[in-house]
Amino acid sequence: MGATLAEKILATHTTDGKATAGEIVEANVDFVMVHEVLGSRIMPILDEMGVDKVWDPKRILVVNDHWAPAPNIQSAEIHQRNRDFVRKHGITHFCDVNCGICHQVMADWGLARPGELIVGCDSHTCSYGAFNAFSTGLAATDTAIILATGSNWFRVPESRRFEISGELPDFVMSKDLILRIVTDLGSDGATYESLEFHGPTIDSMTVPSRMTMCNMSVEAGAKTAIMTLNESATSWLNAKSAMSTWTPMEPDRDAGYVETHRYDLDSDPLGPIVSAPNSPANGKAVEEVEGIEIDQAFIGSCTNGRLEDIEIAARILKGKNVAQGVRLILTPASMETYLSAVRAGFIETLITSGAVVTNPTCGACVGGHLGILGPDEVAISSTNRNFRGRMGHPESLVYLASPATVAASALKGVITDPRSVA
Amino acid sequence: MMKRNLENIVGKVWKFGSNIDTDQIIQGRYLMMLDYSEMAKHTLKIQRPDFASNVQKNDIVVAGKNFGGGSSREEAPKVLEVLGVGCVIAESFARIFFRNSFNVGLPSLIVPDITEQVEDGETLIVNLSKGTVKKDNGTILQAAPLPPLMMDIVSAGGAIPWFKQRLVGQ
Ligand code: SF4
Repeated sequence: MGATLAEKILATHTTDGKATAGEIVEANVDFVMVHEVLGSRIMPILDEMGVDKVWDPKRILVVNDHWAPAPNIQSAEIHQRNRDFVRKHGITHFCDVNCGICHQVMADWGLARPGELIVGCDSHTCSYGAFNAFSTGLAATDTAIILATGSNWFRVPESRRFEISGELPDFVMSKDLILRIVTDLGSDGATYESLEFHGPTIDSMTVPSRMTMCNMSVEAGAKTAIMTLNESATSWLNAKSAMSTWTPMEPDRDAGYVETHRYDLDSDPLGPIVSAPNSPANGKAVEEVEGIEIDQAFIGSCTNGRLEDIEIAARILKGKNVAQGVRLILTPASMETYLSAVRAGFIETLITSGAVVTNPTCGACVGGHLGILGPDEVAISSTNRNFRGRMGHPESLVYLASPATVAASALKGVITDPRSVA
Repeated sequence: MMKRNLENIVGKVWKFGSNIDTDQIIQGRYLMMLDYSEMAKHTLKIQRPDFASNVQKNDIVVAGKNFGGGSSREEAPKVLEVLGVGCVIAESFARIFFRNSFNVGLPSLIVPDITEQVEDGETLIVNLSKGTVKKDNGTILQAAPLPPLMMDIVSAGGAIPWFKQRLVGQ
């Protein structure tokens, strides 16, 4: 039997060149991304392990993004520790509080490349499948082991294949598609698996839309999500990556999958999906939740804080005002995104319509700062998780949606179908 | 980190439902606390406010499906370990939590129908090497066998001592 994308990429990183689903293999990693978890958890673990040298300072990105700039003394201290670490170890790639959310920085700086094995101390590290990489999130101890040695053990995942064809209608985004898929799978429907997204819809998608889909695959329990390289990803890499060569991977024709799911968006058109509290897998057609009153609308995060997300919000809100009593908060995913949105005039449009625009950071997504919810407040958010208490008070509620649905809802003050306000 | 007793974990059951995600175990807003014993005071607070103050050494957390879904935060199993929880038995686990729990020296076992089999507050005896869970009334439940690598890590007391052992062995 042939190899899936996950098996193929992992096999190029093991000493014997083999990796079959179900096996536990030792694999060498190409790149590691760490954020505040470095200063808070990984550094003490490295100390305990007696490690005083990282395996390769050129293959590590350190980011201060979750609590940026520091909203309290604890995070300020962690940021200091990260800066010290970067200096001490001569880390090449460092993003301080002024450049954005880790996953977007990986993309902006061209650090996620085809065929690579990338790990990060963050569950949404799976986002780089948009660039044909095998990327997965690990926690502090496993990341520490990799920072020290450049390798770790991995269980080779089984793969689940998606064949997606047809067009996304106007105001329906890749977020709607992935919310639908996560809902169809259930929150543990793909535990430990690799999701392989194929088909004309995926091949013609922009990099930001592809990242949204890979990003949210972890909400169905997946270990990674991988796409084959397309034109949009190739030109992105050509523009951003300092390294000019890479080896894109394709699955073998006779690769073995747990299951193949087909979605034909022409014969079975997709509308906006909203995931009701408290699970991303609780997706509903927008019609089912329309009219629910909201206090806050949030556009941002590593899921949907990119230029096309800000653009569609600006399109919906241009010349109009955010509903009274509603806060619309926009947190661009990175400084690069922010600057492009300023130059394109989207930021002016949104500020004029009543939005609060913050610096790039995780911020409200993690319930950290810049938009925390109070008791009984209701938010609609372009982020990826609506667990109880995720964005603030345990009695607050979060509905997950595309940036288009969030913008339309901000305009009306209630959950709104973006197709109805266009 | 101390070597764990893996043959005879005796503790009371704290029973939870399905889909207890990492934000339920420890909310994002406590993650900036550097001191684990301070952070641990907020463990499972949303679900059971009395958990952190009343849990006893070796008590057993029992849960339904998909325990520990969500973020990769190692703080989730770690606060349970810091509170002295003896092991977690769930019907299924999220991938990162499962891996993390062994890394921090907290054993996790999968018993497919555990929430139907045991009551809140009852005492269980867990034998990790055999993968058995013995109830008060003598009934023995069998857990899915642990991969040898996981057993190695948890017997070493977690991934840090395991890593050190391997360095010495090389
Ligand atoms: S934006 Fe949200 S989901 Fe993404 S890395 Fe930051 S906290 Fe995590």
